[in-house]
Amino acid sequence: MAAVTANARGVVTDPAGVSPRDSRPPAPGAGGRSAESWKGHIIRELKHRDLSQHAMFQDLIRFYTQLLEKTSLTKGLLSSSARRPPAGSAPLSSLLQQSIQLKKTTGELAYQVVELQQQIKIKDSVLEEQHARLLQERRCLSRVSDAHQELRAQVEQVQGQNTALKVEYDALLERQRAAEAKLRQETVRGEELLAKVMKRKNQAAARMNSHNERRSRAREATLQAAARSKVNLDRSAVHPLSSTSPSSGFSNSSSAPSSRSTSPKNEKRDASMERKPMRLVRSASVTSPRILTSIKELFDRKRRGHSVCSQEEDLVSPVRICVSARVPARALQVLDAHEQDINAVRFSSSSDLLATGGTDKVIKLWEVRAGLLTHRGTLDGSTEGITCIEFDPMGFRILAASYSKAAMLWQLGDSVPKVTLTGHSRKVTAARFSSILHQVVTGSADGSIRLWDLRRAACLQSRNVAKYCSDLVCSENCIISGHYDGQIRVWDSRAASCVQVLPAQGKVTSLDLSSDHRQLLSCCRDDCLQLFDLRRWSNERVTFRADGFKCGSDSTKAVISPDCCYLAAGSADGAVYIWNVSTGKLETRLPDKHSSSISAVSWSLSGEYFVSVDKSKRAVLWSDM
Amino acid sequence: IMADDKDVLRDVWFGRIPTCFTLNQDEVTEREAEAYYLLLPRVSYLTLVTDKVKKHFLKVMRAEDVEEMWFEYEGTPLKWHYPIGVLFDLHASNSVLPWSITVHFKNFPDRDLLHCPSSSVIEAHFMSSIKEADALKHKSQVVNDMQKKDHKQLWMGLQNDKFDQFWAMNRKLMEYPTEEGGFRYIPFRIYQAMTGNDRPFIQKLFRPVSPEGNAYTLGDLLKEMYPAAITNDGEQKRYQVVIHGIEPLLETPLQWLSEHLSHPDNFLHICVVPTPSD
Repeated sequence: MAAVTANARGVVTDPAGVSPRDSRPPAPGAGGRSAESWKGHIIRELKHRDLSQHAMFQDLIRFYTQLLEKTSLTKGLLSSSARRPPAGSAPLSSLLQQSIQLKKTTGELAYQVVELQQQIKIKDSVLEEQHARLLQERRCLSRVSDAHQELRAQVEQVQGQNTALKVEYDALLERQRAAEAKLRQETVRGEELLAKVMKRKNQAAARMNSHNERRSRAREATLQAAARSKVNLDRSAVHPLSSTSPSSGFSNSSSAPSSRSTSPKNEKRDASMERKPMRLVRSASVTSPRILTSIKELFDRKRRGHSVCSQEEDLVSPVRICVSARVPARALQVLDAHEQDINAVRFSSSSDLLATGGTDKVIKLWEVRAGLLTHRGTLDGSTEGITCIEFDPMGFRILAASYSKAAMLWQLGDSVPKVTLTGHSRKVTAARFSSILHQVVTGSADGSIRLWDLRRAACLQSRNVAKYCSDLVCSENCIISGHYDGQIRVWDSRAASCVQVLPAQGKVTSLDLSSDHRQLLSCCRDDCLQLFDLRRWSNERVTFRADGFKCGSDSTKAVISPDCCYLAAGSADGAVYIWNVSTGKLETRLPDKHSSSISAVSWSLSGEYFVSVDKSKRAVLWSDM
Repeated sequence: IMADDKDVLRDVWFGRIPTCFTLNQDEVTEREAEAYYLLLPRVSYLTLVTDKVKKHFLKVMRAEDVEEMWFEYEGTPLKWHYPIGVLFDLHASNSVLPWSITVHFKNFPDRDLLHCPSSSVIEAHFMSSIKEADALKHKSQVVNDMQKKDHKQLWMGLQNDKFDQFWAMNRKLMEYPTEEGGFRYIPFRIYQAMTGNDRPFIQKLFRPVSPEGNAYTLGDLLKEMYPAAITNDGEQKRYQVVIHGIEPLLETPLQWLSEHLSHPDNFLHICVVPTPSD
């Protein structure tokens, strides 16, 4: 308070200090007075005022206010309130007391605060621990759940595989069942087919049987009819028919002396029986009743027994000699004779019939009448293609060699072979009637030549050359065979030895013997024909060639004309080439009828007709007019 | 010179009066209330700066006993709408410091005091004073050119005791066209201490510059408005002319006074108090 009163004096003195200045008379307008004086005065006064009024009390009031705040704070905390003396008397001392107490309480409070803070720390650490544990547990859980997921995925995978396998298995089962069903079906079908085949075969067999029966019956019927009719006609003449030629249009010559080969036997036979062997198909010419009876007996015999050869049949036909063969110039007929290639063609020695055979395994018989080939019959029973055909000298039988390693003999009229000669190891290329009775000679690709006995159907002899034998011919005493090695071998009929070897130009494809058995024609692969003179047994031979003549195959057949004046062969270009023997030159060439290589040619015994066959099933009948 | 002027402005703004607030003894309290000391800013208003006082005294009072707070010094209710400095200079300039104010919570003197329910009332009063001042100074042109946020800035500057914030705006109001030589009229109020309520203050139109172009002084103003305040030669000084707690020389130019010694409400509040007799 002392200070305050001093201040009051200070205040009081101030106006006192101011007033003397006030007494100075104010200048009117204050224009002449400098601004400094009044402004400075004001500044000074303000400073003074602040000092006395503001600065003095500033700190005091501040401290007072702070103390006030503290006391109010402690009053709020403590339950016991300090007894203060009434305001105005001794606030300072009480304040001091209060401040001491406050300090005590602040100490206690601070202690409490510290304790609480420690507890907080402990709680915090516990919380941390729990957090850490929680984290760990969570990690563990996540790991386990991962493992769980993995396992689940594996399970799914395995299940998937299982289902896939099951599906596969099911599919396989299905397939197996289907296959089984198919198998059953197929076996059933197989059985059915087998049954069908059997049925068809039976049918075929039955057909064939009926066919044969029909034929035989037809023949019987016709013969009977003819016999009946002719018996009426002609009862008068009973001639020895040793040398009559039946009124066939084929041969011109008549009353020829008996053939060389067969004459001795002929006489014998002539004595016994004189009869003309019948042309089966031509009934008109039969005049003699003897013929009729003999025919009947023939048929009787046929019915009785199945012997291939009979005495009557053993009669060898008288040789017919062709006086002059005609050079064919014009094709009379072109026809597709067979289903496949035609390999062989042969006119019968009795001139009426033509036989063709080929790859289609049948031999077809044709009759040439009025310039046309008419189909007369089919001989089947060969299991393979036909390579060579020969009529026996009487004309009753046909011998054929086949790819089936066998040669077959048919009676004309039977479509089934009477005899089958098996024994060769390869295809039989040639089969010929031997000059010896009941004997057949076969040559085969296996290089062997066999002699067969027809009565026993057995091989008598076998001569092995080991060179592919392509053709052979038989004359009275010898067998002549042609081979791929270019040699023509002559064999003695009785001996097993090769008598002579004739060299040919090249591969021998065919041989032909002239009708007087003097000349041998060989056709060679190197496109030439060679004619050998057999009687001289020399190596002299005449070679025939021609431009454009090419040997079409390894089995091309060339023939000598019946009058021994011409040679004929078919060429690869489909033309027939005919050479003149005496001039040695090509006489004529007949092209354009064949479209492929000509495999065989044959001249009729009368010399009037000429037939060529080729590999494209075609047969062409030629004549000179 | 400018630095001096700035110093003057600062000193004016930051002036403080040490005050002791004592609760009226008649107030019903639970405990004894201690006095509350506070340095009051001269340029502010009572109800704006006495929140702490209220809080302090409310601690010892029951809520039902509290009405609007009002202040009184030596029996005189203090008008809150006068600046604090004016109140002190007028009533207690020559009394012992700290200024003892008695705080009342009951029996509000409606005839003497205005109610102040909230600070927006103080703001309205403050702004209206500024506008009135500018009307005198610039025919309200400057204050009307200012935006609402500028007015707000003036108020906030006063409320938060921000000298720079306040004077950033206020300087516009202190400008004048140079050809004029000063404001149009000087906004001033002359308060008398011992008068009754017939006239609280003297406020008249007064130009700062004479028609001839001479600057008028404080003395010229007083001579015109309150000749009794001026001590003639030979006489004893009977009155003190106090502005912001000091007595400026009478030759101080009026224009300068208005620019530098105005209160924040742009009025030059002049207190004429009898000279104290020791």
